[in-house]
Amino acid sequence: MTEPTTGAATAAVFRREVAVELAGREALVTTAPFASAFVVLAGLAFGPGPQQLAATAGGTAWLAVLVATVPLARAVAGAEMAEDSWDALRGLVAPGPLFAGKLLATWAALALTWVLSAALVTVLFEVPVLPGALYGGAVGTLALAAATTTFGVLVASGARRGGLLAALILPAGLPALLAGTQLATPGVAVLPWGILMTLYAVAVLTAAWAVFPVLLEE
Amino acid sequence: MTSPSPCTADRLLGAATAVVASVAVALALVAAPTDAVQGEPQRLMYVHVPAAWLAYLAFAAVLVASVAHLLTRDLRWDRRAQAAAELGVGMTALAIALGSVWGRPVWGVWWVWDPRLVTTAVLLLVYVGYLGVRGLGDDRAAGARRAAAVGILGFVNVPVVHFSVVWWRTLHQPATVLSPDPAPMDPWMAAALGAAVAAFTLAGVLVVRRRLRDLASADAPVAGAARPPADAPAEALAVVPRAQR
Repeated sequence: MTEPTTGAATAAVFRREVAVELAGREALVTTAPFASAFVVLAGLAFGPGPQQLAATAGGTAWLAVLVATVPLARAVAGAEMAEDSWDALRGLVAPGPLFAGKLLATWAALALTWVLSAALVTVLFEVPVLPGALYGGAVGTLALAAATTTFGVLVASGARRGGLLAALILPAGLPALLAGTQLATPGVAVLPWGILMTLYAVAVLTAAWAVFPVLLEE
Repeated sequence: MTSPSPCTADRLLGAATAVVASVAVALALVAAPTDAVQGEPQRLMYVHVPAAWLAYLAFAAVLVASVAHLLTRDLRWDRRAQAAAELGVGMTALAIALGSVWGRPVWGVWWVWDPRLVTTAVLLLVYVGYLGVRGLGDDRAAGARRAAAVGILGFVNVPVVHFSVVWWRTLHQPATVLSPDPAPMDPWMAAALGAAVAAFTLAGVLVVRRRLRDLASADAPVAGAARPPADAPAEALAVVPRAQR
C-alpha cells in the first residue's frame, strides 16, 4: 500500500470535515442567525444615524468574524475529542495535511460568516462594496482560520482553562480586524492596508504551519 | 580563570544598574530642559519609553527562546521565555499606566481610543494569554511546547503595535526610537533617555536572571520526595512535592 500524497491527504481531511458538517449542519444552521443577530444588534448599538452606521460598517462585519472564531476554534478538534478519535486521526494523517484540511474547513466557515455579515452590513447600513474589502475578506479570513485552527488544537490538547481560547484568539486577530476595517472604509488608501493584511496572513500562516506539528505531539 | 558565581555576577549587575540609574535620574530631573510645550509631565518620557522598549525587548526574547525551545526541546529555553514574558507583561502594564498618567495633563484624559494605546493593551492581553497557556495541563513538557507555539504566534502583533503610530494619524506622538523619520531632540533629553533605557535594560537582565534561578529550582526534582522514610511523621505525607505545585 502506498502513502497518499500531501494533496490527497489534505483533500481527504477536508472531505471528512465537509461530511461531518453535512451530517450535523452545525455551521450552516448557526452562521446565518449569528451573523444576522450580530449585525442587527450592532446597528442598534452604533446607530441609528446613517453617518454613524456608515462609519462603523466595516468594523461591524470584521468584529462578527472575529467573535465567530471562538466557537469555531472549539469545533476544530471538538468532534474528534468527543468521539475519542483524535489520537487515531493524528496517527493516520501527517501534520501538514491535517493542518491544511482543518484550515480549509475553518476558512470556509469564516469566509461564509464574513460574506453574510458584509452583505447584511451593505444592505442595512447602506454602504458600498469596495474591491479592497473583498480582497481583505478573502485574505483576512484565511489568516484568522490559521490562527483559529492552531489555537483550537492547542486548547483542545489541554485539560484545563478552556476559557482561555477567547483571550488567545481575539487579540491575535487584531491586525485582520484593523486592516479589514480600513479596507472596507470608503476613501481610505487601499495599498498600505492591503500590504498589512497580506503580511499578516503570510506571517500567521507560516507560524501556524511551523508550530502545528508540535501541538500534535504526545 | 574561573567565571564569577551567579551571586557575584548579580551583585555586579545590580551595582552597574544602580550607577546607570543614578546617572539617568540626574540627567532626567536636572540636566534635561523642561519641554516647551508639555512642561514637567514630559519627564515621564524617561520612564515610559524605557518601559515600552524593555517590553519589546522581552517579547523579542520570548520569540527567540520559544523557537530555540522547539528546536532543542531544552527546558532552559522555556524558562527563559517564561521569565522574559513575565518581564514583558510587567513592563507593558507599566508603560500603559505611565502613559495614562502622562496623557491626563497633556491630553486632558486618562485614556483615548488611540490605536497605539489599544494595540498596546491588546499586546498585553496576548502575553497574559501566553502565561495562561502554561496552566492548560499537568505535563510540563507539553505545557512548554504549547507556550512556545503561542510565543511565536503572539509576536506577530509586536511590529504592528510599534509601527501603528507611523501608519495611523493618531493623538499619540510619533515614535522617537526605531522610527523611519525620527523627530529632533535636545541633546540632554536624548542623553537622559539613553541612560534611562540602559538602566531599564540592565535592571531587566537582573530580574530575568533571578527569576530564572527560581524557575530552575522549581523544575529540579526534589531529592527524597518520592519515597519518605517509613518512620516519617504523618504531616510529611501532606506536603505537596515541589514539582507538582
